Amino acid sequence: MSRLFENLRVARFAVLSGAYDYFAIYSLRSWVFGWMVRVLSQVTFFALIGKLLKSDEQTQFLLIGNAVMIGAMGGIFGLNMTTAERANGTLSLLVASPSRPVVVFAARGLYVVADAVLSGLLGLFIIGPIFDLHFPWPRVLLVVPLTTLVGLSAYCFSTFLAGVILRKREGQGLVVNTTIVALMALCGVNVPVSFFPTWLEWLASLLPITNGLEAIRDTVNGAPAATIAWNVLAELAVATGWLSLALATFGRFVGHGRRDGSLEYAS
Amino acid sequence: MRAFLAGARVQLSFIRAYPDALIPFFTAPLFTVIFMMIFRHSGRPDLTGYAAIAPVFIALWWLALFQSGWVIQTDRWSGTIELLVAAPSSFAANVLGRIVATTMLGVVSFGEAWLVARVIFGAAVTVHHWWTFLATVVVTLAAMAGTAVVMASLFVLTRSAATFSNSASYPFYVLGGILVPVSLLPSWLRPVSSIVFLSWSADLLRSTLRPGSIHHLAFRLGMVGVLGACGFVAGALLLSWILHRVRGNGELAHT
Repeated sequence: MSRLFENLRVARFAVLSGAYDYFAIYSLRSWVFGWMVRVLSQVTFFALIGKLLKSDEQTQFLLIGNAVMIGAMGGIFGLNMTTAERANGTLSLLVASPSRPVVVFAARGLYVVADAVLSGLLGLFIIGPIFDLHFPWPRVLLVVPLTTLVGLSAYCFSTFLAGVILRKREGQGLVVNTTIVALMALCGVNVPVSFFPTWLEWLASLLPITNGLEAIRDTVNGAPAATIAWNVLAELAVATGWLSLALATFGRFVGHGRRDGSLEYAS
Repeated sequence: MRAFLAGARVQLSFIRAYPDALIPFFTAPLFTVIFMMIFRHSGRPDLTGYAAIAPVFIALWWLALFQSGWVIQTDRWSGTIELLVAAPSSFAANVLGRIVATTMLGVVSFGEAWLVARVIFGAAVTVHHWWTFLATVVVTLAAMAGTAVVMASLFVLTRSAATFSNSASYPFYVLGGILVPVSLLPSWLRPVSSIVFLSWSADLLRSTLRPGSIHHLAFRLGMVGVLGACGFVAGALLLSWILHRVRGNGELAHT
């Protein structure tokens, strides 16, 4: 029990530290006129493809998919934590401390998830009406926790990836960006996963975003509650799976790094 | 010229050493897959050319925003800027060499995008107007380098350069009509698009993939060139002013 409280205490400080980082990166002005302009443009860019195709159905599919993808993107940005820790010179201290590095890594980037989920939701609710997307009230409220679930699920996945690439001095940016675009391609963001061959459809269902996004589409389209619940459960299972994998492997990756000195010095 | 070539060589060495510089060459094929899937799923294989052109602009713009745009700041951080500025060769030529080398690399994404369309989707991208295509690519690369010179200069001046880099991708993809033509944007936004060289360039490149004749070719190509030249001039003036300022107040190596 005391171990749990200890971890919660570490997580609290990690979240606070992350929040301070966040406020150092963005002011309200740069967030609104920088980041949010990008978010709204990203959702618009994909929604416009639907206009090019002269299809309202496609427009709304692309709009919802890419707004939710913004929420998930933040989870993947959490991968940058490893680079940030190394750049700040805190990685070796963190690894040497008696607390579990995975707790710090998992908690410190939560601010990115919160930011991304808020951004994705704003993208959906600001750009949606411009493209004639109607939100069924009050069901649409369910989109808020569902987008949060998608963001957290992506974050669990990225915490696992953070352990894998922890020892690499360079290349995190490459992994982050490639992972984000790969997820955009595979997780039903731009085309339904039923468009894929069966093996790829299966693979997509094991990735974060896919099932949660389906639940969000079901919510907006007025699907039965049981269908939504099934997809929510699937997303929860996927998130739990990736988090368990992260918890099981992170210590091992850190241990390797400690033994061969690759955490600070190797590439 | 030697400073220019030396800058180009150094930049290519940087890119080889830092895998993050290769990001657009990993994402361009994936973007091609995404756009191709959207068009195939909608039963619009006629838009294959659109899907093959847009990832190239995404790659080129990314290189300008995240590589070329940071060349001067990187020199400041690595402590090499004093040596470069004090050297008898031209600092501006060195910077330009680095930016042009980075921009030229973007051409690789053409091959990647078209290969993905061919190999994964069995779709051929046919260029119907080769000379116009080549001329547009050359002028586009020059305009992109010109725009990158402005970014490299501006990023030294502003504390929000990282925020700008992270934010200035999709707004310009929309305004530049790199995938969806500007004609589909609201009418109030089109005048803004017309001063973004990407909009002229993307439109012209898509025209080269269609069999019909290309209207107002000289004007459209000229607009890409003029807007790019404006970038070069503005960037050169900014760079000269910044160097004068930071030398004067002793902030050359300080951010």
